[in-house]
Amino acid sequence: MQSNALSREMTSRASETRCSGPARQSRWLAVVEGISLWLAVLLFFFLQSVVAEASEQEQRGQDSAGALHFIDQESGRKQPATLLQTDYKVEVGGLIANTRLVQSFENTSQQWQEGVYVFPLPAQASVYSLKMTAGERVIIGEIQTRDEARRQYEQAKSEGRQAAKVDQQRPNLFTTRLANIPPGETVSVELRYQQAVRYQSGEFELRLPTTLTPRYIPGVVMAEASAPVSWQGGWAAPTNEVPDADAISPLTVLPQDVAATSHRANVELQLNAGLPIGSVTSSSHGLTSTWDGNTVIVVPKTGAILMDRDLVVRWAPVRGQAPSAAVFHETWQGEDYLMTMLVPGLDNTDSLPRELVFVIDTSGSMAGESIRQARASLLRGLDTLSVDDRFNVIQFNSQTTSLYGDARPASIANLNQARRYVRGLGADGGTEMAGALDVALNGQAPEQGGYIRQVVFITDGAVGNEAALFRKIQDQLGDTRLFTVGIGSAPNMHLMGEAARFGRGTYTAISDLNAMEQPLDELFSKMQSPVLADIVTDWGADTGHDVLPRRPGDLFRGEPMIQIIRGRAPHGDVTVSGRLPDGSAWRQSLPLHEAASAKGLHRHWAREKINLLMDSSLSGHINEDDQNEVTRLALAHQLVTRYTSFIAVDKSPVRPTGMPVATDHVPTLLPAGSEHAMLRYPQTATPAALLMALGLIGLLPCIALMMLRRRVFE
Amino acid sequence: MSRILLTLAITFGIVFTLGLWIPLKAMVAQELLTLAWAESQARLQLGESAQPLIVLAGAHGESLAFGPGHVTGSAEPGMRGPVVIAGHRDTHFRGLETVDIDSTIRLQSRSGKWSDYRVTQLRVADSRQEAMNLATMPDNSLLLVTCYPFNSIDNQGPLRYLVEARKVEPSPARATAGPNRQGLADTGF
Repeated sequence: MQSNALSREMTSRASETRCSGPARQSRWLAVVEGISLWLAVLLFFFLQSVVAEASEQEQRGQDSAGALHFIDQESGRKQPATLLQTDYKVEVGGLIANTRLVQSFENTSQQWQEGVYVFPLPAQASVYSLKMTAGERVIIGEIQTRDEARRQYEQAKSEGRQAAKVDQQRPNLFTTRLANIPPGETVSVELRYQQAVRYQSGEFELRLPTTLTPRYIPGVVMAEASAPVSWQGGWAAPTNEVPDADAISPLTVLPQDVAATSHRANVELQLNAGLPIGSVTSSSHGLTSTWDGNTVIVVPKTGAILMDRDLVVRWAPVRGQAPSAAVFHETWQGEDYLMTMLVPGLDNTDSLPRELVFVIDTSGSMAGESIRQARASLLRGLDTLSVDDRFNVIQFNSQTTSLYGDARPASIANLNQARRYVRGLGADGGTEMAGALDVALNGQAPEQGGYIRQVVFITDGAVGNEAALFRKIQDQLGDTRLFTVGIGSAPNMHLMGEAARFGRGTYTAISDLNAMEQPLDELFSKMQSPVLADIVTDWGADTGHDVLPRRPGDLFRGEPMIQIIRGRAPHGDVTVSGRLPDGSAWRQSLPLHEAASAKGLHRHWAREKINLLMDSSLSGHINEDDQNEVTRLALAHQLVTRYTSFIAVDKSPVRPTGMPVATDHVPTLLPAGSEHAMLRYPQTATPAALLMALGLIGLLPCIALMMLRRRVFE
Repeated sequence: MSRILLTLAITFGIVFTLGLWIPLKAMVAQELLTLAWAESQARLQLGESAQPLIVLAGAHGESLAFGPGHVTGSAEPGMRGPVVIAGHRDTHFRGLETVDIDSTIRLQSRSGKWSDYRVTQLRVADSRQEAMNLATMPDNSLLLVTCYPFNSIDNQGPLRYLVEARKVEPSPARATAGPNRQGLADTGF
């Protein structure tokens, strides 16, 4: 518009210029004056638009909470940071799933980068291989003690050599660090890990977590707070309860805050259960399954999936062929490893009166879809109560509050009151889980009536102090049993599984409001039906072998007993015996020579052994012998643990000395359905100083010139 | 020639005035807001003797030009939950530079009730690397955000200066009021 007006103005001026001669000079001056005036106006509008753009950017920044952009030092231009691509290739054989996970980091900046990425793996995943690929070069990683790996990594980083390191922060939370990614290039890290497949009620289940729910960090911040503290990545500071808070809390962003190609995962599963598979389902993603004999290839329908929720895949054998027992065998370094699975075919429907305590997490991380799932789960749980039962509802966030002081009979009036209470629950505040556990576990069932006390814990498990909670459960459990229900797109399954194990109960996970009935009904029916207790396995005459877990936990309906043993040849029988709820004995034998060969059993055994040793650390500090034993096992079986890490280091430097290297913390995506609790810092400076400086810089010479001219004319 | 000079001088004069106008607008706006709204707005007092500032809704450019802005998504002053207030470092929140640990910040809710907050932590955050996680902040906390460093000319800088404070319960009990920084417990920062 303005330029149009300007050109019109100019042409009219030009036509005027042509007509008369004597006044030419003054006309020229008038034209110049006109043009310069217009230029001034244009400059004004230009400045105005710059200011407007700046404030628009501010606003956009406000909307796209938590976007990770870094500003190029030279140009000041905003650029997207490191892009992340992942590729999961899962092979399931028997009860063990083997995954090759490739993480590619693309440095789109003009600067050398160090990429830091905190990522989740399935609970109890055993990472056993690392390979770094940078261009043509492939470096095979090796297992080292954590300190040694850190030393080598830091040295390589400072010397400009490429290096990759993988640390375990939690049994289901790992960190990849990648030093010296050249500008514009991609470096990839290939990890191999294995996990046990869950089998219950005739269905196998595999869970591939792709992101994590931001953890709540309880405790008092340890950093000295007297002076401004400069911060390096991660928003949580170490506290006395979670000393590694900064290592487990990556920046969480929305999918639109990362580049359109970043944070996408390609997934391919190859199911080879050794028996005909009838159906493959998923509650989280649409899947395409291709049958090839007994093998099924499964890929997501949409191709690459967004890494904002766990991928859950369930498969069931053809009807009538659900296995009730299995034996697998592997020889590794001359030693025999045997894994057995046995499903006691129990279907007892006698039920004893129960005292059921529901504990629901109403902390801020549950906001959004999660709290709706949790409320619906709790309401469904209330429906399973019968008139003889007693119940209570406890909610916790920063504080713990309960519906009743003590459990009350499940009368219609009480249940209606509870339903109203549950429907009114919102999600806000911190996740102080310990207090809720105290209240839930310390309540006492009345002596008379023979009530069974059960606690149902409904949470996303987004806390950083897992170990302290397990200790609490272990110490205060008594006769109570604890059941956990994992909520949301990315629950902390490590917490769910282990809390249930220490609580002598079982766990389940809900990922979709529409598909929650089946897992919940299974859980609540398990809770109603009695269990097989005091399970003892007899592996025959051989001694000196090492069975894990030493004492299998109680079994609920549809659950298998799984044990793994080292140093036992595949012959003879194993006998499993237990006690039924009515007091009678139960006994079953399994022939071991039927064992099918399998891979990775030794790692599974080592992981179980390490878990056993690490359990003792719950009682406080882990003693040095246990720590050495864990390190020894991890080095022998090539596993990443709390004390050992994988490191791959290139020999020759690639980054010229003198070139700086920036550290880029690759964010994780906010789990789908969660409400964003993280806000981007607003833009909090005005261009006032800039404008004043600019104005003065221009104004001063003008005034000086004007004064000079005036003096000349005088 | 002199006209060109004059034009240039006027142009740069306008730029300079625009620059001057921003802090002036910020100052005048506060006075006018005080006159207009009297007691119905949230207010913030950054020190015992400082002039209370009227807090506006939202931390976008338009509101921050006239006063400190309450960050949408955090709790309203007086309600349960962490409160986050942002302000421009070169206008209303210039005074944050002089706020020290243990000094008192007062916040008035819309209902007119004043609460005292004690400063527990001062730190600098890089907005490219971290975000505010309200879920990890305690319910009784107040977070003030402004740009850092204070005397920088760059108005798009990534650094933020954070002042974290905890509410001092009005009861005479000395549970939270003592000189120890117990108040910082589980800020999550």
